[in-house]
Amino acid sequence: MRETIQILDCHSGQAVAAEIFDEITLEHFIETQAIWRPVVLDAVRALAKSPNQTTLIPRHFHWDWTRKEAELKMLALKFFGLSCDGRLQGIMKVDTVVRSCRLPEQQGKPLVYIDYIETAPWNIKQLMEPLGKRQQYRGVGSRLFEAAVLQSEEEDFKGRLGLHSLPGAETFYIKECGMTPVGRDPHKQNLLWCEFTPEQARRYLAGD
Amino acid sequence: MNPKRTMTLNLTDQEMSVLEELSIQKDLSKTALLRQALRLYQIVDARISRGEKFFFEDPDKQKAELMVL
Amino acid sequence: MKFNTDRKWLERRAEQEDRHFISVGGLISTLDPTCQAEIVNMPTVETTKTAFVRLLQLTRRERRLSSEKLAEIADVDLAELLKIEMDETFTPGLRTVHQLAVALNLPVKKMMVLAGLLQIKDPHLQQASVRFAARSEPVGSVSPEEHAALEEYVKFLNER
Repeated sequence: MRETIQILDCHSGQAVAAEIFDEITLEHFIETQAIWRPVVLDAVRALAKSPNQTTLIPRHFHWDWTRKEAELKMLALKFFGLSCDGRLQGIMKVDTVVRSCRLPEQQGKPLVYIDYIETAPWNIKQLMEPLGKRQQYRGVGSRLFEAAVLQSEEEDFKGRLGLHSLPGAETFYIKECGMTPVGRDPHKQNLLWCEFTPEQARRYLAGD
Repeated sequence: MNPKRTMTLNLTDQEMSVLEELSIQKDLSKTALLRQALRLYQIVDARISRGEKFFFEDPDKQKAELMVL
Repeated sequence: MKFNTDRKWLERRAEQEDRHFISVGGLISTLDPTCQAEIVNMPTVETTKTAFVRLLQLTRRERRLSSEKLAEIADVDLAELLKIEMDETFTPGLRTVHQLAVALNLPVKKMMVLAGLLQIKDPHLQQASVRFAARSEPVGSVSPEEHAALEEYVKFLNER
């Protein structure tokens, strides 16, 4: 799969063409470590030293490298990348089998579970500001999230989606995206499980 | 879009009945349900091949091994 | 897949996204000030450490050596060896890394670099380390794929 979509270029203020694709390779994972991570850590160090720091400090969640190559061959797992200007701008991993719906009205029905979603650090405003740099692109994470919802429709899951929201993103998934907070999961560091019903997914895609 | 190939599936009445029942329960087409079954089978097979064991745990926390393959 | 082409939709979603860290399983945010030291000291390259531990584990398993046996052959402290294998944040001693490298016939200097005891800037090393870590796992018998990954990685380390 390879689709051309638009994201926003912060320098020109214009919408620019980007690509969403699902042929992810090990090289893409290497890119997130070799190129993204040093920028993340520089930004985090700058944030930590800032005397006016009132925003949350992002902390790298240890990325499990075990069996990544084998995972790429699993039918149940789908990986998506977003590239623009010849560089990887975002990456996402979804699982279509291991988890199912927890909301009572759709209990047990299959859903697309977002296991991992990350935007390149130069696209994150809160990381670029402490470094005195401008954010490059906007809307990357939203496009990947949109791809996850569309994937759910393609799977015949009717848009049903689930994820464990990290603490700083709960408001985003509940208020902005319109997901239902179901409850904290003791098996996943007490993170908040959020879920889309088909109607919520439809509203998200339509922008209602 | 990944190109798809067509396969004819011969099922017994009982198998078809189970397939139909699960499809309704999971709100999935029969094709989508069989696709899920294939994905699950691949994951289970890969992990058992690596030496892992597949267990079910009942509400009383009693583990029973599910042998596959 | 039919993505939304409405510019206003994109602007709205982008604005919402800009107000939050929406990463799942990647960056996480925390208010805990006690982790500041951890952040400041975090290695820029964590994957070479993972590769170091994985290299040790795979080479040991390939030779069907228990940790106890390896500790004995390499003349290192078993507790330290176990800590190396279980805790990727643990930095082993210079002598231990040297002894293990010699016992397992792995290049000493490269092992020092991977263990985080020596600093060199080598993007090829990092890439090779990530590739190796992504193709292996810490326990179980060595699969043919892991064996191939191990051979390739050791060859790379010896050639550079």
